[in-house]
Amino acid sequence: MISFALKNNLSELDALCDHLSQFCQSCGVPKRQTFEINLALDELFTNIISHGFPDENEHHVHVTCDNEEGVFKITIEDDGIPFNPTDAPHPNLKCAFKDREIGGLGIHLIRSYMDRIEYTRKDGKNVLILTKNL
Amino acid sequence: MDITETKHDYYSVFRLNGRLDSNTATGFEQKLFECIENGTQRLILDFQDLDYISSAGLRVILKATKNLKSAEGKLVLCSMQDYVKEVFEISGFDSFLPIEATLDEAVKTV
Repeated sequence: MISFALKNNLSELDALCDHLSQFCQSCGVPKRQTFEINLALDELFTNIISHGFPDENEHHVHVTCDNEEGVFKITIEDDGIPFNPTDAPHPNLKCAFKDREIGGLGIHLIRSYMDRIEYTRKDGKNVLILTKNL
Repeated sequence: MDITETKHDYYSVFRLNGRLDSNTATGFEQKLFECIENGTQRLILDFQDLDYISSAGLRVILKATKNLKSAEGKLVLCSMQDYVKEVFEISGFDSFLPIEATLDEAVKTV
């Protein structure tokens, strides 16, 4: 298991990648799945940083990863404004090119690469649990 | 992320090296649109050395494609890692973007 905290700044994406890569390597997660987990976590973190903190203060996003018996579980906690990604609308991927909208793809990618997404609002925090069967 | 731009007679090639995420997408967008505004309407993005892409990178590519299509220009991608290609497929971007296996093929398409 690994736990780490990231500041509310997009430059922390490199630290996120480093922590995750080290952990995945230590427990033998293949490169492709490591990429998919990294992408889901990146999309979520970017969303939290872009929309979660309207104030100018420093905040921390706490991440815990665990890999047991072929199930990779990530818990992400932040004290930003309430945001439930499982409620987000699905983008229309089949529409004509001219109608394709810029945006909405991040959550679509999380849904595609993860097997389960659970959201709770607890003690003034967003708690999201992502699960991927390896 | 490093971006190398090579100009040819009627097209430019952008070779991306590293990670294209929400932290690096802004710099990439600036370089790409600077080239388009300077009159180059045919572009190749060479992803041979691209290790990673997130939706922030896809957003820039969609924006550039929309811009180029309205100006009769063209954007062609090539040499993707298979897991990078899957991101384009899951997002439905392969339905409107030419994705070639090699740079040589991309040059023919552009």
